[in-house]
Amino acid sequence: MKKYICPICSFTYDEAVGIEEENIKRETKWEDIPSEWVCPLCATNRVDFLEEKSDIKLNEQVSFSKEDEANTLRVLSIEEMSALCSNLSKGCEKQYRDEEANLFKQLSEYFKNKGDFTKDATFSDLSNFLQKDLDTNYKNAKNVITKSNDRGALRALVWGEKVTRILSSVINRYDKKKNELLENTNIYVCEICGFVYIGEKAPKICPVCKVPNMKIAQVKRR
Amino acid sequence: MHAVRNIRLCTKDCLCLYVCPTGATDTESGQIDATKCISGCRACVDACPSHAIFLIPDEYPLQQKKTNDVEKALLTLSESKTRQEQLALTIIKTSDDPIVRQLAQALSMSNRLLAEDVLREAGYMLPQSQNVKDFLQSLLDTPQPEDFPIEIVEKLLNIL
Repeated sequence: MKKYICPICSFTYDEAVGIEEENIKRETKWEDIPSEWVCPLCATNRVDFLEEKSDIKLNEQVSFSKEDEANTLRVLSIEEMSALCSNLSKGCEKQYRDEEANLFKQLSEYFKNKGDFTKDATFSDLSNFLQKDLDTNYKNAKNVITKSNDRGALRALVWGEKVTRILSSVINRYDKKKNELLENTNIYVCEICGFVYIGEKAPKICPVCKVPNMKIAQVKRR
Repeated sequence: MHAVRNIRLCTKDCLCLYVCPTGATDTESGQIDATKCISGCRACVDACPSHAIFLIPDEYPLQQKKTNDVEKALLTLSESKTRQEQLALTIIKTSDDPIVRQLAQALSMSNRLLAEDVLREAGYMLPQSQNVKDFLQSLLDTPQPEDFPIEIVEKLLNIL
């Protein structure tokens, strides 16, 4: 019995187990699954799945030049300050410091309203950023952070890269199907890691960070 | 170390009321009275059948040091994620198609979380750390627009 992994979201098809929810019986061979079948979590095509033993090469070595390393750290942008403050607000909440949590939240909102809304924005602009993240930014970061042995940062990269692949796949699907992609179904976001899911019901646990679905929020249409 | 209650887990078994030597758990606020709680006592923590009470440290560990190149790599990502969030927010503002706005909303939420996560790992894990205080101080030390809420920043620097 073999296993096949979705290259986008890591969903694993195990021949020994099948998929009960989709009436794929136990011990159903990969070859016997119809070619139009797609990943139940992220709708990746069956042909793109990889057999489990195959090495997925992700750690290409790309390094910063010396010149880059010599630069001092830049000041955070307004948008980053907003994200920093909203995360510090969450941090305070977890320490039961409600007053501080509320102040950071207000600060985060202030910065959010100051963001630049003047530039043209399309989903394909987002796609370009996603591609650059996947082609360069995550590789660079992985290279640097693996060397420094920073477990927390490495964890953020592993989840972040998976979610980034999923976002890229969502935009590609939207590009092909347009509004039909969402018309008769729902869309969800994991409030812990940012995983995005399109489907009737949210998965029981987030496939990326494994949080139960009480933390997976439905995004309503307004 | 004093006790706090996760109100989402609390099933009102109220054993904490019986075991607390000072009555700190007996409040109408849903939370434990930190001024009465005996540091490290943990009688309520061990008694609670729902595991809804736990101790939180009065002092947190120091922020882990990040090397310059780790910080830089993470900030490259936070820049990209926040720019994507901003694009998605702009789409929400400018589109009159509800489905487009819905998708953009999901993308903005996801990118916000991705940005938060890398910034947190770039040296801003703990709100009371020196890095956060330096960040807040830098807001006071640089020119800000007229409507900037200085009082919020000052208050935070005061109580963190």
